[in-house]
Amino acid sequence: MRLELTKVRQSFGEQDLFVIDQLQLISGSAVHLHGPNGAGKSTLMKIMAGLQKPTAGQVKRIADADESDLQQAVIYLHQNPYLFDTNVRKNVEYGLRLQGRKDPKKVDRVLQWAGLDHLQQRQAHLLSGGERQRLALARALVLDPALILLDEPTSNLDAGSLERIEQMLKDLHQRGTGFLLSCHQDNALTKLCNQHWRLADGSLSGVD
Amino acid sequence: MNELWHTFSAAITQLASGDPMLWGIVGVSFSVSASALFIALLPALSVGFVLAYFRFPSRWALISLLNSLLAVPTVVVGLVLYMMLSRSGPLGDLNLLFTRPAMIIGQILLCFPLLVAMSLSAFQAADHRVLETAKTLGASPWQAFVTLLFEVRFALLAALVTAFGRIIAEVGSAMMVGGNILHHTRNITTAIALETGKGEFVQGVALGIVLLTLALVLNVSLGWMQSHSRVLRHGT
Repeated sequence: MRLELTKVRQSFGEQDLFVIDQLQLISGSAVHLHGPNGAGKSTLMKIMAGLQKPTAGQVKRIADADESDLQQAVIYLHQNPYLFDTNVRKNVEYGLRLQGRKDPKKVDRVLQWAGLDHLQQRQAHLLSGGERQRLALARALVLDPALILLDEPTSNLDAGSLERIEQMLKDLHQRGTGFLLSCHQDNALTKLCNQHWRLADGSLSGVD
Repeated sequence: MNELWHTFSAAITQLASGDPMLWGIVGVSFSVSASALFIALLPALSVGFVLAYFRFPSRWALISLLNSLLAVPTVVVGLVLYMMLSRSGPLGDLNLLFTRPAMIIGQILLCFPLLVAMSLSAFQAADHRVLETAKTLGASPWQAFVTLLFEVRFALLAALVTAFGRIIAEVGSAMMVGGNILHHTRNITTAIALETGKGEFVQGVALGIVLLTLALVLNVSLGWMQSHSRVLRHGT
């Protein structure tokens, strides 16, 4: 799957936040997006995920020949992920239910992978910061997305949680899922990335 | 004092005896109010959602109008509806005056603004990430809306309980467009008004006990829902 942005412009009132002439993100990529506060990193990620329409320009998802619609999913994860007001397991099952699918074995596997299997009946609101991030990743992973966009996933994480998320992202990448993460500082997660984009002063640099 | 106690104990006896006329009146009240609430619910939630999440010209005028309708006395709603449904009114040909459907329409007009106002506050208070999270995980607009309803379910249940409490206890509209016809349109409040006027307090008190019990049950349920919501969110 290829995500293509063409002549994308995002403005607020008269002022342009950013203008991007051409941008491609291919499933399997590992990209670190950085830049100053207010540069529009979250907005760009939401545009890429289809959650927000740009002021102008086009965003296209181009599927490979052997891909189904489901494998073209681009999932955006908030800085502080929103967890549905139910238990951990039902949060993971959410996306599958929307598609009318039930796959308890896969849900079990994903919960185990995220280290949340012993917490599956716990209300999601009671989880710690690191557990919340892991649940958000597990909830996305169960859908086998082509790309995951992580908005500041390292904020509020302790060293142990960061290590765990790092391992999860490594696993994801090995399975062929691409990811783009925005982070202010370099850390273990940004070291996993093979591209580093900088969004500043209204333009994106570092793109191949 | 003895007189009051005698009336109260007679009212309890009448309730306990299962008097068909008395419980028939209670049944009219419940069926009319439940129907009105059922019909108004989805449109009211949809309007509340649109007002909370979409920006369009005259949005604030619409919200102000709905808030003003909250304060309209029930007799005024009854009066307007009476004029519309009376033979000389624009809807006179429907022959709805003094029927249960007319009472239901009156109660819909009373609960609709309340449901919109309370659902609007619930949607506005909801976390803006709910819809984004639902959409990014593949929800269609309808599925995202249903997810949002689930996330604010306790606030919406509170709206439902409050609206039901308002319409089952109203007398003005039911009296004017229902006509207080025994076995057809006589409900708890119109029956209390009638019996009190005749000086027959026993049935009025019996029906008043039903209303008070209902108010107690609704408020306890509301309190339980709010505390249950807090327990889910904070674990205490």
